[in-house]
Amino acid sequence: MHKLLAIDRRIIFALVFISVAGPLLAGISLPITPTDEVKAAYDQFEKLDAGDIVLVSFSYGASTQPEMLPMSRAILHHAFRRDLKVVAICLWPEAPGLAQQVLEEMAAEFDLEYGVDYAFMGYKPGNFSVILNMGQDFHSAFPQDQWGAATGDLDLTRSLRSLRDFDLVLDLAAGDSIEFWWIPYGQEKYGFTFVAGCTAVMAPDLYPFLDSGQLGGLLGGLAGAAEYETLIDRRGSASTGMSAQSMAHLVITLFVIIGNIAYFAARLTSSEQRN
Amino acid sequence: MIFLSRTLPLVIAFAFGMLGVIGYYVPHGDAQSLEREMALWVRIVFAFSYLLGLYSLLNLHWQRIRQRVAGWAYSLIAILSFAVMMVFVVYNDGLGPFAAQAEAGGYKWLFDNIHVPCTSTMFSILAFFIASAAYRTFRARTPEAAVLLIAAVIVMLGRVPIGRELSDLFPMATDWLLNVPNLAAKRGILLGVSLGAIATSLRIIFGIERSYLGGGAE
Repeated sequence: MHKLLAIDRRIIFALVFISVAGPLLAGISLPITPTDEVKAAYDQFEKLDAGDIVLVSFSYGASTQPEMLPMSRAILHHAFRRDLKVVAICLWPEAPGLAQQVLEEMAAEFDLEYGVDYAFMGYKPGNFSVILNMGQDFHSAFPQDQWGAATGDLDLTRSLRSLRDFDLVLDLAAGDSIEFWWIPYGQEKYGFTFVAGCTAVMAPDLYPFLDSGQLGGLLGGLAGAAEYETLIDRRGSASTGMSAQSMAHLVITLFVIIGNIAYFAARLTSSEQRN
Repeated sequence: MIFLSRTLPLVIAFAFGMLGVIGYYVPHGDAQSLEREMALWVRIVFAFSYLLGLYSLLNLHWQRIRQRVAGWAYSLIAILSFAVMMVFVVYNDGLGPFAAQAEAGGYKWLFDNIHVPCTSTMFSILAFFIASAAYRTFRARTPEAAVLLIAAVIVMLGRVPIGRELSDLFPMATDWLLNVPNLAAKRGILLGVSLGAIATSLRIIFGIERSYLGGGAE
């Protein structure tokens, strides 16, 4: 048992690697059942009419892109498929490059016209104060788009004055922007419908806001993205990744169980030897 | 000197603290204009904080290189990486530093092909360390640790499709854990933190809490 407890960690690494790579290489597919909070987010988009405007805030960096990119892609695909207009902003300095990537991808897929179907306002520093600023005067918060065009010159953003002018606000976050920026300084103050997507580790923190109705729906991590892909009937990288994540979780669970069995068996043996 | 080091900061903290409260809660046009101005000021101050962060980061790595501390070569790579990125940011695909950011160019290439893969790789390595740490340290040594361990196993399996394949109980138990005990605990923590933040803010606004002045609490 002591040998089992002192197992070389490279063996653990190898097993984790196999559990992740194996299902991806074998193309294993598992059925995905959407949870209530993801269905709620999906329903918020379904309630909107063609031409309604959605504000999408990108608040994540490259480190969380494997979780957040499939989510961004699925939600934007749904929005553009329903002919919704999207105004994208970034509240994280790293986010513009990532947002640009997914917006360009969607623009090519749906043949979107910049400034009419979507606009990209880029990054502004200030965290919650940018949200307060947008609530007061959107043009003052973002006088220009990412490429230097005046906000008043773009068809889509010309008439936007406040956060109240958006039919839905979505925050895609890897930090504390949902609970500490958007809810207290945006949703509570201006009363818009708010949904969010976040990394898996953040999701449990946001359940009180779902229960209070301040959050209209939530996508948590790769699982949330895969559930959203299932709802929009478009299998993407999140659905593919769920088989790998399933196996990885199973392997880690087995490690925990085996580790505990070995620990208690070793403790029992030691106490027997002492007696 | 006491006026500059003590009284003036206290007056500024009181004035801007009260203005922040008034701007948030009073819907009158003047109060809203004030809030708009203050939000702009905060953004400007926030932008300057990046310069402080940059100075701190570069200074730290420069000192490590100068003193040849263990791993100083990594500090050199950090400074060189910053310099290379900065050159491309200033060049801005030929548009210069004062134009809006170019849609393509060297900076975008470096970001997409070096920064994104490197940081994503660093994050993904966590899975390996979590597995190793879970095996070695996640033990049911006490009843509390046993509860935590069982909850963790249920949620880990209940949040992925294989959990539902094993048993419908996993997703059901996961939903219950997230929506009842987790929600109650998080709500309690949030209320506690929020009340603490309000109390601390009021203490700062009214000059009771003065440790931010640098002389310790008085």
